[in-house]
Amino acid sequence: MSSQAMKSFEHLEGLSEAIFKRLYQQPATALAIFRRMLPNLAKTFVMAMLFNPDPVPVSSLEACVHPDQNRLKEEAFAKLRQLYIVVEKQGAFALDATFKVELRKALTGGGTPGSFGLPCDTEDKNKVDISFLDRYAAEQWESILHFMVGNETQSSRRPSEGVVRLLLHGKLMEQTRSSEIVITQLGFSFLLQEVNSQVWTLLLLYLDMAEQLRMDPVDILHFLFLLGSLELGQDYDMKSLTPTQKGMLEDLRDYGIVYQRKSSSRRFYPTSLATGLTSEIRSLRSPAATLANATPRNAENGFLIIETNYRMYAYTNSPLQIAVLNLFARLISRFPNLVTARITRESIRQAINKGITAEQIIDYMTANAHPQLRKNTPILPPTVVDQIRLWQIEGERMKSTSGYLFKEFGANLEFNAVRKYADDIGVLVWEDKNRGMLFVSKHEQVADYIRKRAQSSR
Amino acid sequence: MVRAIKGVLVECDPSIKAIILDIDSKTHDFVVENLDESHLIIKDNKVAELKRMLEERLNEHTKVDSLEEEEEEEDD
Repeated sequence: MSSQAMKSFEHLEGLSEAIFKRLYQQPATALAIFRRMLPNLAKTFVMAMLFNPDPVPVSSLEACVHPDQNRLKEEAFAKLRQLYIVVEKQGAFALDATFKVELRKALTGGGTPGSFGLPCDTEDKNKVDISFLDRYAAEQWESILHFMVGNETQSSRRPSEGVVRLLLHGKLMEQTRSSEIVITQLGFSFLLQEVNSQVWTLLLLYLDMAEQLRMDPVDILHFLFLLGSLELGQDYDMKSLTPTQKGMLEDLRDYGIVYQRKSSSRRFYPTSLATGLTSEIRSLRSPAATLANATPRNAENGFLIIETNYRMYAYTNSPLQIAVLNLFARLISRFPNLVTARITRESIRQAINKGITAEQIIDYMTANAHPQLRKNTPILPPTVVDQIRLWQIEGERMKSTSGYLFKEFGANLEFNAVRKYADDIGVLVWEDKNRGMLFVSKHEQVADYIRKRAQSSR
Repeated sequence: MVRAIKGVLVECDPSIKAIILDIDSKTHDFVVENLDESHLIIKDNKVAELKRMLEERLNEHTKVDSLEEEEEEEDD
């Protein structure tokens, strides 16, 4: 799974135990969390315990792991505890009862019908096909992005008030003194992400806001995970949704995640933005690609040519694409069908300062490369790619990690023991054996360990 | 008794470290502990300022490429 989308899931890790317990009451959610948030070793542990009625002793789980892979094992255990999937007592692990039951249902197909979406049993008079859904999703999503870039000519497709509030709340845009709404630094880096992570970012903001609007966050998460398991092209009935979820449908329509012919219609269709929520497939590659897909006259996807002399030629008319190029290149001239630009040290440094990474820039250029350029291997000139990365490193001359320095240990033995413990839990950053000092990123567990040792040695 | 000191571990080239120590020598306000030739401990709240001053020092000797700034002149 792309690293940016993973970060979105990490946000979910901070939720409370009560919320997780409620989340696990639905099989779709339990399955989605199992698939997306657990490392492979943790998944193996869960499967080992899933159909076992008794708690499983920790030692038999540890026996699955090679002694060298202590770090992976601790990571897996920590994740399982963090997500409240396991309960620990007397040296044995037991799966949380609700999670166990619901995950079994998800895997063996039991449970209430409609827990993975209730398909409509009647024929839709105004049936829509997949290409319509794709176009619809692209249009809605594009209108949000155009709005963010400040694109005046598309005012007829200005996104709804709800969307604007969301963007303001998430600090992707801000309101200036003259009451205009302009894009922020965070907004810029949001623009360069791939579509799946953009969707998740907005949905997580929605989750944040929902608590203010007094909508139940658990219901929202249930619906999101449910959407991720629906089939594209199939219409679903609204009967099985809770009132909160029905209210969400209207907002999700604005983002292009579901399609509903009108608000009173009792069926809805998920679009590829919805089915891509919990999958690894990148359905809509990038804003530029979706735009090209949506307008039939652009048969090819790419429009960018980059030369080894750092000059860029963009065969585009779209203000959105030009604005994105302006983020990291210096635009030189504009013609009816062409924009010329140069990638310079200054322009890349400016982009880095706005929070855009070299990888994002390189990915964007690769994704939008002109078919003529695609014939090359590698697609982009290596000199330019390497130089962009070097310019990013130039700004990173010092690498900083915050944490605690431990020094003045009583004896070498104690230093070694603490050092090994810190290494095992993965927080050790730096050590100096000769002077008996070490630096850790998280200190609570190490401090506890030292205290316990001091007490036990008395 | 073991002591724990809060701070930010900074890892860099020896040459950069020399510049940081030089910046620090004026006010002694940044460096908490000098660890080894590529590591230092800096006060939490001084890291951003240190980064800024380091960049200023490094860019002192860089000239913006004036070639780009020139307009292309037309031959009449």
